Amino acid sequence: MESIILFAPLIGALLCGFGWRIMGETAAQSVSTALLFVACVLSWIVFLGFDGETRFTHILPWIESGSLATDWSIRLDRLTAIMLVVITTVSALVHLYSFGYMAHDENFDEATESYRPRFFAYLSFFTFAMLTLVTADNLVQMFFGWEGVGLASYLLIGFYFRKPSANAAAIKAFIVNRVGDFGFALGIFALFFMVDSISFTDIFAAAPDLAEREVAFLWTTWPAIELVCLLLFVGAMGKSAQFILHTWLPDAMEGPTPVSALIHAATMVTAGVFLVCRMSPLMEFADWTQSFIVYIGAITAFFAATVGLVQNDIKRVIAYSTCSQLGYMFVAAGVGVYSVAMFHLFTHAFFKGMLFLGAGSVITGMHHEQDMRNYGGLRTRMPYTFWSMMIGTLAITGVGIPLTGIGFAGFLSKDAVIESTFAGGTDAATFAFWALVVAAAFTSFYSWRLLFMTFFGEPRGDRHAHEHVHESPASMVVPLAALAVGAVFAGMVWYKPFFGSEQKVQEWFGIASGEKHAQVLLIGAARAAEEQNDASGEDSGSGAAALPGQGAIYMAPDNSVLHDAHYVPAWVKLSPFFAMLIGFALAFLFYVRRTDLPAKLAANQAPLYQFLLNKWYFDELYEHALVRPAKAIGRFLWQRGDLGAIDGFLNGVAMGVVPFFTRLAGRAQSGYIFTYAFWMVLGILVFITWMTIAGGQ
Amino acid sequence: MPLHPALDPQYFLLGHCALESRHAACCASRSTLTKVGPGCRDGASTAIHSEVALEDLLREYLPILVFLVIATGLGLVLILAAVVLAPSDADPEKLSAYECGFNAFDDARMKFDVRFYLVSILFIIFDLEIAFLFPWAVAFGDLGDAAFWSMMVFLVVLTVGFAYEWKKGAMDWE
Amino acid sequence: MQTGDLSIILPEIVLSVFAMAGLIAGAYGGRDRLGPAMIWTTSALFAALAAWIGLQGAGTATAFGEMFTDDAFARFAKVTILLSAAAVLLMGKGYMARCDLIRFEYPLLIALAAVGMMVMVSASDLMALYMGLELQSLSLYVIAALRRDSVRSTEAGLKYFVLGALSSGLLLFGASLVYGFAGTTGFAGIFEAVQGRAPVGLLIGLSLVIAGLAFKISAAPFHMWTPDVYEGAPTSVTAFFATAPKIAAMALLARVVYGAFGGIVGDWQQILAALSVASMFLGAVAAIGQRNIKRLMAYSSIAHMGFALMGLAAGTVAGVEAMLIYLVIYVTMNVGAFAFILSMERDGAPVVEISALSLYSRRSPTRALAMLVLLFSLAGVPPLVGFFAKYSVLLAAVEAGLVWLAVLGVIASVIGAFYYIRIVYIMYFGDEESELDAGGSTVLASFLVVSAALMLFGLWNLAGIEGPAAAAASTLVR
Repeated sequence: MESIILFAPLIGALLCGFGWRIMGETAAQSVSTALLFVACVLSWIVFLGFDGETRFTHILPWIESGSLATDWSIRLDRLTAIMLVVITTVSALVHLYSFGYMAHDENFDEATESYRPRFFAYLSFFTFAMLTLVTADNLVQMFFGWEGVGLASYLLIGFYFRKPSANAAAIKAFIVNRVGDFGFALGIFALFFMVDSISFTDIFAAAPDLAEREVAFLWTTWPAIELVCLLLFVGAMGKSAQFILHTWLPDAMEGPTPVSALIHAATMVTAGVFLVCRMSPLMEFADWTQSFIVYIGAITAFFAATVGLVQNDIKRVIAYSTCSQLGYMFVAAGVGVYSVAMFHLFTHAFFKGMLFLGAGSVITGMHHEQDMRNYGGLRTRMPYTFWSMMIGTLAITGVGIPLTGIGFAGFLSKDAVIESTFAGGTDAATFAFWALVVAAAFTSFYSWRLLFMTFFGEPRGDRHAHEHVHESPASMVVPLAALAVGAVFAGMVWYKPFFGSEQKVQEWFGIASGEKHAQVLLIGAARAAEEQNDASGEDSGSGAAALPGQGAIYMAPDNSVLHDAHYVPAWVKLSPFFAMLIGFALAFLFYVRRTDLPAKLAANQAPLYQFLLNKWYFDELYEHALVRPAKAIGRFLWQRGDLGAIDGFLNGVAMGVVPFFTRLAGRAQSGYIFTYAFWMVLGILVFITWMTIAGGQ
Repeated sequence: MPLHPALDPQYFLLGHCALESRHAACCASRSTLTKVGPGCRDGASTAIHSEVALEDLLREYLPILVFLVIATGLGLVLILAAVVLAPSDADPEKLSAYECGFNAFDDARMKFDVRFYLVSILFIIFDLEIAFLFPWAVAFGDLGDAAFWSMMVFLVVLTVGFAYEWKKGAMDWE
Repeated sequence: MQTGDLSIILPEIVLSVFAMAGLIAGAYGGRDRLGPAMIWTTSALFAALAAWIGLQGAGTATAFGEMFTDDAFARFAKVTILLSAAAVLLMGKGYMARCDLIRFEYPLLIALAAVGMMVMVSASDLMALYMGLELQSLSLYVIAALRRDSVRSTEAGLKYFVLGALSSGLLLFGASLVYGFAGTTGFAGIFEAVQGRAPVGLLIGLSLVIAGLAFKISAAPFHMWTPDVYEGAPTSVTAFFATAPKIAAMALLARVVYGAFGGIVGDWQQILAALSVASMFLGAVAAIGQRNIKRLMAYSSIAHMGFALMGLAAGTVAGVEAMLIYLVIYVTMNVGAFAFILSMERDGAPVVEISALSLYSRRSPTRALAMLVLLFSLAGVPPLVGFFAKYSVLLAAVEAGLVWLAVLGVIASVIGAFYYIRIVYIMYFGDEESELDAGGSTVLASFLVVSAALMLFGLWNLAGIEGPAAAAASTLVR
């Protein structure tokens, strides 16, 4: 069944991409969408019926080279099952949504260009690559999926290939991701170098050994485990648009909105979080890297939220929101509660996907106007869109009844993240806690700001556009409704297995139970004593080997954050709720009551406003620090190195030296026998002379 | 009569072949081809021979030396005799070449009938045949069946070539 | 003289008897009417002999006081020679008929040349070497001048003859020097006499022998006759020149340097490497200026011989094996290429200008495609078989420590790729539509297509020639 889920999108992509000329555009679109729905249904069956025991499905032998032996096979555990559901659900709905969204597009000539099958083929291909990523049972396979989604992302961001800005954004996304991917690849190499295998099973089994080893890299020696985890996290940073490597994500909004919903909100950008969770058996041994993850996640959450406060483009606001929420997930993963990170990933996929699709609905309704300053009063004109956006906003801002398990999806997962962070206890966690609470207030502010500016107040901007506003077709509204269900209930239904009950979490993720934890502690002690005592070494070795790879995620015996998170003080549990209320109140004040206030504040605090509006000047910084020097080097190598030296040399040889000798050879070929004989005799003379001088050694 | 044999291609070839055949005969008279006696060695090989061997070598060449002296002497005597004894009343017709030959002193790049070459080349083949046959015949008593049949095969091959050239008309002057 | 000796050279005897019988039959019987039948019979006999020799068991036998050796190496070379000669003979039939050149002597002369080549590759004595070489050469001199009424053809024959005589003389002089210093003409004896240090005189003799043989394989600077002869001779004869005699001379060279001078590898290695570099570069550079495809193929063969020499220069078993594989692949490619050249006609008359191929792909797509494959293979473009031929000799050179030689070989190969690919360019992106005839004999077309297909499908295990080549190489190198 997993194989069907994995390959249905691929078949859809191939049929749609290559077969549309035969079967027609609409049929091709329908085929790929239908296959996605098949995959989606099967995924839910797998997800709901999964018992927590890791399963392997062998597909085919892949790479055999020296000691590197890689099979292409599916590893199905809880993490995979969750991701399967998220990916196929959102993807299927986005496929459906795209029927309406892509029906007309002014970027293409309707009469002559068939852009729709291409779009659907890319979407399906992306889904296949993403599924490959999450079903991988080894790092190379994962890397294949990782690069596959990168490619699909590139193709889809640059889908409007006539727009220079779209092309620039696609290239930017690709290049920034290269930085992360380079780290990821180095991490894989390092693991292969030390473990001599890239299969997850072997790597996890070797984690305790890695924790004690050191490895030389760059200028110094590192603890092996820290180096590996850090490199892997660099990969995750690139893919998940974390602070420093985040700049590509807002620009990626140049792509069609369904793409933003699928790739840049629900699935691909969460691959980094998935990677960290998947590597939990290693991460648990890398304390320093975990702190680093927490810091980066917290900074991202805070930074993106601040930028989101002042953006005017509706999609950019949501993009920064995504960036910020990804920071939440990394913080959770960093403090060691991987289940909570996955929880937030899971719920986020629903409400963020829905927000994007809703934004897309607004954009189509407003004839591709994306500036919120030109919206206003759309509540009555687009009721379905309004209500779904409302649900999405309620979910992302975390509305619910405090101290109970009742609330929108984001309420439960975000609170779980914040509580776990507080329970983390370290310096990093404390910092992250405050950053996340402030970010929660900001989240609330910009989300409500978006909603108020779009749907409330008076229509602004082009009157003509407002007159022609219309609700979107059913194919776009139905996916909104489906995701709304998820945004409301996903949190409440799966609260316990993700976070609420430790017992349930362990069962759900197939983690060793409490007694086994105790065993782990004992064995840990035995391992410490291993050097002195050879006899106990054997027993402990066989016992410990099974441990870090068991289940979907691994939490070290000394990791009690999940447990502690349930016993944090009440003010901690209430803090995100109040942060949300503050944000809501401010947004209500600024954008419903006193609409003149934002402009005044912006004028008063001009430097701060500009700082935020320009996204902390990151693009400008990179432009000066990296892009321009790189371009200068590139130009130098191109003009001087390639054109001047290499081409110059080769052209000189090819067009000067070789023809010269050709003419020479032609002249030597005089046609007279005596010339020929002369050359022969000359050759012999040379040989004889040479032999006389150099021969006979 | 041509004044200098070396300038006439036909005669030159003949003379050349005669020397070659003598040499070949000398070699062929030995029992095997690979283990040749010192008499047939080139001068270049003397470096690795001892003095005794050198003396042997010279002794074996003595008949040739005698032969050379006699040949030179005889040639000189005949030429001188012709100069001294023959009546010398030359006219252009007498000094000109015979119908088969060319002007002795003339441009070497002249056209002439290819049949002259054909005849001379055909002659070489049979000259060589004789060169092989003589030693074979001389030593025939000491040789076995193999030698006899080898020569028969050689003659058959030669005959095939002869039959071919005859049939193709190489022997006809016209 | 034992019957055992005769049984060892039985294939040669059969071929000689056939040639003489054919001569008599032709002269007294049907004359030139027998020509076509004679070509078929000769080809069939070649193929039959090749099968016979190829299916003979393993092992080494010598005859006539070790003058003649029959071993795996000789058998490998003989099979290749006979098969390529048979193929070229068949291919050229139509061409010869159209040029009114079908004489019954033509196949018989090729048969006699083949006897000479068979003696050459089996020679294990300087005498047998010279005998085989001259039998082959004399036949070739005549064949080169087969078109008696053409000035170019007779010029080609005369040049070939005069220069061939010069090279023969050099070889004989070298052989006499070797004999003088080693005291024997047998390879085995020379091998024993020459170990480690060799006197300078013997090295001079060796140089002269190698120079004489280098003339036969047209290695630079002894190559000068090749373009003129290739151009002047009838195309079917050129095709023959480019295939079988090259293998024979190369195999003979290998036999001389390993069989007789295996004790002084370091000395002849330098000469062969120099010849190799000179040939590769000259072949590559000079071919660029050619407008006539036959002259171009002449330079191409010079360059290819340079590569084969590289394998020989390695001085290892792997090197000889690489050389043999290279030769077989080279011959296969050339058979195909000449099948194409033979089919180049305009209004029934042969055409040899490269420019005439302009946009040939439109006129005859299949043949253009097959030629494309062959040209890419000749240029050594992966993944075609021609690449693996070059790869194996380069590998052998590198493993023998001749990295500089391999590097120069790669550079020469890059330069050489230009003129092959230029033909492809002209065929596919030329200016005006080709006026060549689109039809052509099925024999030529099938040789062309089969040869091109071998370039593709031979990738699989190199069509199984590696095993025999390895066996052949290991019997030669002591």
